[in-house]
Amino acid sequence: MLTGTATIDDLPAGTVPTWDIEPVTLDGFEIVQALFELRTAGRQSVLPPALHPTNPPTLVVQVWRCAGSPWGPFELAQVRVQCRSGLRPRGFVIGAVVDNEAAGSGLAAGWGFAPTLGEVRLRRYYDETTAEVDLDGHPVLRLAGADPDPLGPHDVGYSSTLNLAHTPNGLRLVQLDLEVDADRVERLRPAIGAFDAAGWGNDLLDPWYPVSASIAVGRATLPPVRYCCRPDVLAFEGTETVVV
Amino acid sequence: MKFGIFFEMSTPRPFTGGIERQVYDNALEQARLADELGFDTVWAVEHHFLEEYSHCSAPEVVLAAIAGQTSRIRVGHGAVVCVPEMNHPIRVAERAAVLDIISGGRLELGTARSSTWTELGGFEADPDETKKTWDEYVRVLPKLWGPGPVSHQGHAFSMPERNVLPKPLQDPHPPLWVTVTSPGTELDAADRGLGCLGVAAAGYDEQERRTKEYHRRIQQCDPVSSVVNDQVTTLNFLYCHEDPAVAAKRGMGMVGLFGLANSHLLWTREAYPTRAYQSLGNLSPGARSGSGSPGEKYGIPEGIVVGDPDLVYKAIERWESVGVDGVNFLVNALEVLPQDQVLDSMRLFAAEVMPRFQKGA
Repeated sequence: MLTGTATIDDLPAGTVPTWDIEPVTLDGFEIVQALFELRTAGRQSVLPPALHPTNPPTLVVQVWRCAGSPWGPFELAQVRVQCRSGLRPRGFVIGAVVDNEAAGSGLAAGWGFAPTLGEVRLRRYYDETTAEVDLDGHPVLRLAGADPDPLGPHDVGYSSTLNLAHTPNGLRLVQLDLEVDADRVERLRPAIGAFDAAGWGNDLLDPWYPVSASIAVGRATLPPVRYCCRPDVLAFEGTETVVV
Repeated sequence: MKFGIFFEMSTPRPFTGGIERQVYDNALEQARLADELGFDTVWAVEHHFLEEYSHCSAPEVVLAAIAGQTSRIRVGHGAVVCVPEMNHPIRVAERAAVLDIISGGRLELGTARSSTWTELGGFEADPDETKKTWDEYVRVLPKLWGPGPVSHQGHAFSMPERNVLPKPLQDPHPPLWVTVTSPGTELDAADRGLGCLGVAAAGYDEQERRTKEYHRRIQQCDPVSSVVNDQVTTLNFLYCHEDPAVAAKRGMGMVGLFGLANSHLLWTREAYPTRAYQSLGNLSPGARSGSGSPGEKYGIPEGIVVGDPDLVYKAIERWESVGVDGVNFLVNALEVLPQDQVLDSMRLFAAEVMPRFQKGA
C-alpha cells in the first residue's frame, strides 16, 4: 500500500491549545469545492506517513464565504490533498488563506488551521461562480465554475478535514468533521486560471486535470474535535479519541 | 445453494518481477481446482486502473482461458461495464457469444456501470449517463443475440440493420445478471427480470429485506428477453481451515488487506457530485466510509465465511435462510495467502461443507 513520504518537520503546523471548545455555527454559509487530478509522480511526497494517497491523486480547493460567525464575516480558502486515513476519506490541508484575522485565530485554535492572512473573494453569479485568492497582492488562485446545474442537497459530500497542528496530545493530524446543512447545491464546470503552488506552500502541487466543482448555500457547524492522529504512523495505530 | 469463486486479480506492489503473471497463473489453477471440486461458477470482474485492488481489465480473455482449461464449471463475465467509452454494446454481444460457444454454453453475463472515478474518469465517461447506458445495454443485448439482423436507434448508440455474429450457444442467450452495490439496484434487476449479482455484502437482515423485495418485485417484471433470471447471489470471502484460530488469523488478514486496497479507490460520488451515484458503491463486502474514527479497522462483515468447516457451514446456512441462492467467494487477496493454503481451503470446503448443501443432504 502506498503511504505518504513527506518529512513531517517540513510541513506547516498550526496550534490547538485546548480541546475544550464549543461548537461554532456559521450562518449565511457558501462553500465551493473544486476537485482536480494531480500527476501521479508526486502523490506520496505531499502527504505525511500516516496517510494514503487516492488513486488517482487529487487536489481539492475548498472556499468558504460566511456572513455570520462569532468572528464576524469571513472568507477562507483551503488547498487540500484528498487522501485516506486508515479506511476513511480525508482532505489533508496543504495551505489556507483567510481574510479575517479573528476568524483565522479562531479556526486555528479550534481546529488546527494555520491560515495566512490575505484576500479571498468568493462570488456567486447565475452563470458562474468565481473564487480569487491573493497574497500580498499576488494572485495564488483564480478559480471559475461555469454552467451551474442544480443538484439535491445531499448530492455533494465533504470529506473530513485534517490539519497538522501542535495539540495537547502533541503534534497531531486534527480532524474537523464540518457539518454542512445546504438549502441549495449546484454542480459547476471547473476551470483554474491561476494556481501558484509555491504560494500554497508546496510547489509539487499541479492541479492539471479538472474533474468537478460545486457550490452549496446554507449554514454549517464546526463541531469540537473528536479524533486526532499521529502523523508518523498509520491511523490504525495512531488514532486517538479526543478527551476534554 | 450454489457456490462460485470470484477473481479480482488483486496484485501487491511492486508490479514488476512477474507478480501479475503469478496472480493470473494462481487464478487459473484455482479455477481448474474449482471445476474439479464441484464449484458452480468462476467469475472474473472488469476493472480498469485500480492499482493493487484489481488488475482484471480483460476478463473475457481470462474466461476464455478458463473455459479452455475446464470442462464443467460455468464462467461468469461479472460484470461487463455497460458504458460506451469502455465497451461498445455490439462488441459486448459478440464477445459474450464467442465465450458462450467456446465454453460449450457455460457463460453467465453480468452487467454493471462502474462506481469509481478512477475508471469512469480514465475513460472520460460521464457519470450522469452510466445508469442510462446500462439500461439501454441490458434491453438491447438480447435483441443483438436474436436470430436475425437488427437495427437500433438509441441514446448510447445507434446502428443500421446488421446481423451481429456469432449467436450464443445457450438458447435464447446466457443468463443475465446485474451487479448490485448501491441500495435499490436490486429493484432495477427485478424490474427487468435480471439476476441479482451481489458484490457488496449487506448484513443478514438487510440482505433478507432486499432479497424478499427482489422476489416480490420480479413477479411483476417486464423482462428484457423471453427468459427471467430470478437468482440472488452474494459476495463473501472464503478461508476454511480445520483449526478455527488459524482460519481466523489467515482469513481475516485477507479480509483486512482487501478492504484497505478497496478504500484507496476514488469513488465517483466523492469526486463528482451527481444524482446518479447516491452511495459510494463500495466494491468490498462490509466496507466503511464517512467521518468516523480513522482508527477503526476493517470490520468483520456479518456472516463472513472464515472459520473451520462447522463455522463456515453455519454462516452459509444463515445466508441460505435469508433467501440467497448462491455465494461467490474471494479466495485470496493481494497474494497474502500462499497458493497452497488457498487450494487447501477450497479442498476442505468442498469436502466438508459443500456436501451439506447438496439437495437431499
